[in-house]
Amino acid sequence: MYNLNKYYGKGDTEVHALRDISITVNKGEFLLIVGSSGSGKSTLLNMIGLLDKPSSGKILIDGIETTKLNDSKISSFRNKKLGFIFQFSNLLPDLTVLENVMLPRQILGTNDSAKQDAIELLKLVGLEDQLQKRANKISGGQAQRVAIARGLVNHPTIVLADEPTGNLDSISAQNIVQLMKLMCKKLGQTFIVVTHDRHQFGDVDRVITIKDGRSFEGEESQRLEITA
Amino acid sequence: MSIILVLYLQYIKYQTIFIDYVEYRLQLAKRMLFNKKGSLMGAVLAVTVGILVIHVNFVIFQGLFDAIVRDLTDYRFGNLQVTDEDDYIDKSDASLVNWFERIPYVYAATPRLDSSAAINITKFGKKIEETRIPIVGVDPLRDIRASTAHTTVTDGQYVFARNSIVLGSSVARDLGGAQVGDDLKLKIVDRYGQDQIRRFIVTGIANSPGGNGFDYSAVIHIDTLRDMMNRDGFTGSIMVKLNDPSKSTELKNLFLQAFSNDEFKAETLEEVAEQQLAGFRSGIAMINMIGYFGMMSSAFAIVTIQMMLVNGKTREIGVMRAIGAKRKDILIIFLFQGIIIGAIGATVGTAAGLGYTIYAKETKMSFNNSLPLEVTIQWDKVIQTALTSFGLAIVASLYPSYRATKLLPIEAMRTV
Repeated sequence: MYNLNKYYGKGDTEVHALRDISITVNKGEFLLIVGSSGSGKSTLLNMIGLLDKPSSGKILIDGIETTKLNDSKISSFRNKKLGFIFQFSNLLPDLTVLENVMLPRQILGTNDSAKQDAIELLKLVGLEDQLQKRANKISGGQAQRVAIARGLVNHPTIVLADEPTGNLDSISAQNIVQLMKLMCKKLGQTFIVVTHDRHQFGDVDRVITIKDGRSFEGEESQRLEITA
Repeated sequence: MSIILVLYLQYIKYQTIFIDYVEYRLQLAKRMLFNKKGSLMGAVLAVTVGILVIHVNFVIFQGLFDAIVRDLTDYRFGNLQVTDEDDYIDKSDASLVNWFERIPYVYAATPRLDSSAAINITKFGKKIEETRIPIVGVDPLRDIRASTAHTTVTDGQYVFARNSIVLGSSVARDLGGAQVGDDLKLKIVDRYGQDQIRRFIVTGIANSPGGNGFDYSAVIHIDTLRDMMNRDGFTGSIMVKLNDPSKSTELKNLFLQAFSNDEFKAETLEEVAEQQLAGFRSGIAMINMIGYFGMMSSAFAIVTIQMMLVNGKTREIGVMRAIGAKRKDILIIFLFQGIIIGAIGATVGTAAGLGYTIYAKETKMSFNNSLPLEVTIQWDKVIQTALTSFGLAIVASLYPSYRATKLLPIEAMRTV
């Protein structure tokens, strides 16, 4: 992404949420975006995830300039190239665990191996015995595992995770972190994870800090040390 | 052969694509809807009640109309009524009746003669008089075939002799409670202006549910009436009953053609009773309009319920949009809900409506001992009502579905 800016409001109430952010993400990378609450990290993730539009700047994913896509193409792009893991898992409570994982593939319109792939992924996240359970009948940790499987089912270019452990107890949070790292390593999957809790993630490929809408390579503590 | 195979394979391919396309959307629509049982039941009930109102209206008002038509046919006019354009029919009634009864789809025909009379009876030494009573002269043997007027005689029996008279229940009441066996006097002014008085014995009291029979008349033998009117051999009308009422116009044309040199006037029931029926017809049309407005109210109920469903599923819509569902996918999902509501509502409503119709038909439903409704199941109307409500349910779901597509994923997902 190049020179990404995002403004909210107008005139006196205008907020400059993102300021000239330029980041390049490498394939297979586990990128952690950290920052305090209100720093703009979730806004940045929403831009990358095409859930929100930048006020200026470009986002290129797989060489496609996503800021120029229309609504229908954005939806297709999100479906094919991006996987999402949200803080509250955001599973569809009316569907079973298996159906939730199959959903992005069904939206894509390729039903052929949807079920088989979904089952494989659910095995990988350790939920092969919960396939037919309704999504609202499983625990928060399990739901987040299902969300990871759902995020991976279309083999996206990037998986975007917004505070994926924010709603979990520490043990479940650790499990989810390990699982994402495993998926990154095993499947060569690119992860961009937004968190305010840096320590939960341990060693990752790269960390970017967002502060007051600006991005810095590395962690703030390191930066302070360097500055000092 | 190979072309057929290629076409078949193409058909299978597109069918599979279609099923794939529809499957998850339909499944999602079903799940979302069936997991909100209260909303589903409310919406289905709205459609059901809309249909039921139409059916009930139809059973009552169309049934009433058809009952009046039935009674007018059975008691008074038949399916075709023949009169003379200016005066009485002077042709032999037997020859006309025979002409009609030779036609295969004619069930029976009978002559009738109408007049008015003053009537008096002495009860307990007191003379009670009624004037201007309509008098109907019937041929007892033929009348019981072409008309069911004789079945309205609730006490005693129909006219069988020259001096027997059947009084309408209202007339009997006005005559101080005239009963079978009483004798009374009838005074008629004949064609020469002379009073003709005869003594009769009451043989029956006629009382028809709804009062379309001879409740306000007196019935005597046609030859007696002819004598009293000094119109020997004259007939007022020929009442013709058909096996197949739809052929009344055909028979009318056939008759007028056959007797083109005479001054006959032949009218189908609709023509004879035009004035009586026209008002009723417009009343039915208005009631039907009210029914369809009721159905429109159901549609508004569906809009409200579906808006509630959309509001309740805002977060899920946001999630679906986030993981790649397009606006049209969301539209289709909620339209499917409209289709499901419409289909279930139309089925349940039609079943309930048919149940009510069959009940009304089998029990010969009537209100306050009035005439029993003539209930028929008109399948074209049943299907039309079901399809209209089904279509309305889909139309009603358009706006909520459209609103669902307008939700922005990022904002929708923030909804708790």
